[in-house]
Amino acid sequence: MSPVLRLLLRRLGISLIVLIGVSMLIFTIARVIPGDPARIALGPNATPEQVANLRAEMHLDEPLVLQYGHFLADVSRGDLGTSLYTNRPVTLDIAQFLPATLELVLIAGIIMVALGLPLGILAARYRGRWPDHLIRIFSLLTVSAPSFVWAVILMLLFAFYLPIFPIAGRISDIYDIDRHTGFLLIDTLLAGNIAAFGDAIRHLILPAVALALSGIGQAARLTRANMVETYDKPYIEMAQAYGFFPSRIARIYAFKPSLIPSLTIIGLDFAAMLGNAFLVEAVFAWPGLSRYGVAVILRKDLNAIMGTVLIIALTFLIVNVIVDLLIAFLNPRIRHSTRAT
Amino acid sequence: MKRKSLLAAALCAATALSSPAFAETVLRLDEVAVGELDPAKASDYADSILMFNVYDTLVLPQQGGPGHVPHLASDWSVDGSTYTFNLRDDVTFQSGNPLRAEDVVYSLERSQALGSGLSYLLAGVSAEAVDEHIVVFSLEQPYAPFVASLVRLPIVDKALVEAKKGDDEWGEAFLSANGAGTGAYTVTSHNPQEETVMAKNDGYFLGVSDVAPDTVRLRYGLEAATVRTLIAQGEHDISSQWLPPEVMTALANDGAQLFSETGTGAFYLKMNTTKPPLDDVNCRLALAHAFDYQTAIQMVAITDDVSSGSAATGAIPVGMFGANGPDNVQAQNLEKAAEYLSACAYDPADMNIEVSWIAEVPLEERFALLFQSNLSQLGVQSEIKKLPWALFAEQVSKPENTPHVSQIFVNAVTGDPDTLLYGMYHSSTPGTWQSPEYLNDSQVDAFLDAGRSASTDEEREAAYSGLNARLMEIAPTIYGYDRQSVFAASNRVKAPALSDPSQAFGLDGMGFSFRLMEMVEE
Repeated sequence: MSPVLRLLLRRLGISLIVLIGVSMLIFTIARVIPGDPARIALGPNATPEQVANLRAEMHLDEPLVLQYGHFLADVSRGDLGTSLYTNRPVTLDIAQFLPATLELVLIAGIIMVALGLPLGILAARYRGRWPDHLIRIFSLLTVSAPSFVWAVILMLLFAFYLPIFPIAGRISDIYDIDRHTGFLLIDTLLAGNIAAFGDAIRHLILPAVALALSGIGQAARLTRANMVETYDKPYIEMAQAYGFFPSRIARIYAFKPSLIPSLTIIGLDFAAMLGNAFLVEAVFAWPGLSRYGVAVILRKDLNAIMGTVLIIALTFLIVNVIVDLLIAFLNPRIRHSTRAT
Repeated sequence: MKRKSLLAAALCAATALSSPAFAETVLRLDEVAVGELDPAKASDYADSILMFNVYDTLVLPQQGGPGHVPHLASDWSVDGSTYTFNLRDDVTFQSGNPLRAEDVVYSLERSQALGSGLSYLLAGVSAEAVDEHIVVFSLEQPYAPFVASLVRLPIVDKALVEAKKGDDEWGEAFLSANGAGTGAYTVTSHNPQEETVMAKNDGYFLGVSDVAPDTVRLRYGLEAATVRTLIAQGEHDISSQWLPPEVMTALANDGAQLFSETGTGAFYLKMNTTKPPLDDVNCRLALAHAFDYQTAIQMVAITDDVSSGSAATGAIPVGMFGANGPDNVQAQNLEKAAEYLSACAYDPADMNIEVSWIAEVPLEERFALLFQSNLSQLGVQSEIKKLPWALFAEQVSKPENTPHVSQIFVNAVTGDPDTLLYGMYHSSTPGTWQSPEYLNDSQVDAFLDAGRSASTDEEREAAYSGLNARLMEIAPTIYGYDRQSVFAASNRVKAPALSDPSQAFGLDGMGFSFRLMEMVEE
């Protein structure tokens, strides 16, 4: 068996154990935090009898272990239960809201990589000179303010004072697009509606940039630090002594080894954006899974909490596996090792 | 290079082509909570807005005054505990099915079977369709607010639900995503995370004015900053009532108009009458006289003329049976407070009053701080406790866990004082979020029961007047202010039911009857 395949199987096995652990942990935490989910779901006007009936229906009057058993049995049938927040099957909610968040996070991730890595390279290449100082100040600014602050600033600047971009939502009301995939950039293209595609992009830009900004700073800082360290290595000095072009040294000899630690962090940042997107989604009224996740946590909607956390955990694990494989691809010591780490 | 330029050009063209332009009148408003479409589960404000537009009820509150008028019913008669309603014969559901008496019976039975929302209002009621257009309700015991309760019985299209329900006995899945009413607006889409879109029902039995909005978008969960920006940019029409007062004020200063719906509820500081020192009536009266009512109202003022609260005149909000006149406005009186405190069996130096506020309602923290400073003027120590709603609802189920003072907003869900006061003060309903007072007073019980069994308005007025006086005497609650819901709105919309007291319904959410609104060019 090849080392990479062995690494993949090992990572998948660990991911499965983590997923089961997460489900047990969240199941327990969601049930022991104060507040009666049935009372919250039925609202302030419900009678004690109504609350008791719903508690029985949700098995909340049974021991925790039995409740977990019911949960596992339902999940094995692909049933995550009904959300008390939306009164719909949780699977339907996830199917509807996940693509919105994935689309936002994917675009934010692309922006983060497309801007963060080049800025890091540029800063390392011109270490100690004005481009380096400028990029470091920019990085510090973007890392130090959370995404929702950027969201409000960007909204004020580019939607309020300079009304270039829309304020809220995923697409303007005038477009009635069939949602085949839930990814509006794809659905608008499938519908052959270029105007709607452009409108969807306009709606994506501000939330995606707000979400990506701190990641851009993080990626730039990390890439710069790793490249600066790599630039001090003897083989770079040797390449310089041989008279290789600085751009070739930066691109091939300095950047590739520096990318490995950056990639790990970028992967984690990317996965974390799924959970962190909720404030950006809230500010831009983006109907995504993160905002849904927070809403269901506040309402102690047990089924929806479990469904949302499991999906986010699963995505996190998938991204981690992909990052591990990419690192293995970039690092020959892992790729050709007889024992996968 | 050429391909990149082409791609950039295509994106620019696509972006340029995407400027929206509306050909129809669209009303956009928002609510914090997701609207529940199933009328049998409706309970909060967003649900009510949907319910009152997609469905109709047998009666409606009289606009601008007390009482009820026929709506889907043409008239009704009362014989003891039997109510006979004649239905209009010109009403059709949005599906095209005619309205029949069996739809009314089905709606009641469905609500009672699901046991959700406000179904408890109609417990102990049965209905029978005696012919296609006559329905008879029988009550197990006299219940004077029965007609008022019918504003919470939206009539569902039985034939449509039966056809769509599949294995689902009461068609819950269908009705959670679709409308099945006679209402002036039909549901065209419902996304709980985003919005519910409704369109004008051209077949509405009362007709819908041409100037009423063609489409309505009820958006959910918008942030205050987003609503502020959207209204300022002309992309939103009516805010929810939950915007912070300072945001409302900013919008008003920018030229937005302010709508209001006179509430049938109030802001209360409820005192746990079982917990020392508040088990002593003198101590409760001391606290009630120490509260600074005027400052509390100023704290919710939006402009000089509009406020989210008006002065309370007693235990019953102004406009309801038994309410006191305007000359009884509650006011701080520290001298009297000190007098009552000296008569209290407990030593003020040993007191430490817990004042709770609901974490989800940040405004309540300000009132807690105000009350804390009022208590310190009396020389009484206090402690402020922030409680998430879920924890609060759990804690109040036991008197020993219930804080000394719980701050709560309560509304009468039918506009009748019974739905506001019975759950708060009757000794048979202690330990709910509405009744952290744990009051057990035989006189109060007798007045509340008399209010339910009275057969004339005069008898009800007398019962609730007596109740009001008794509550002021034993002070289980500090009546902070009578509540009023305020909404910021663009100048594109006119809503007489939310701006003209003679057109107001006096029932939360009913002012948002879109058929009565008018879209205008700014």
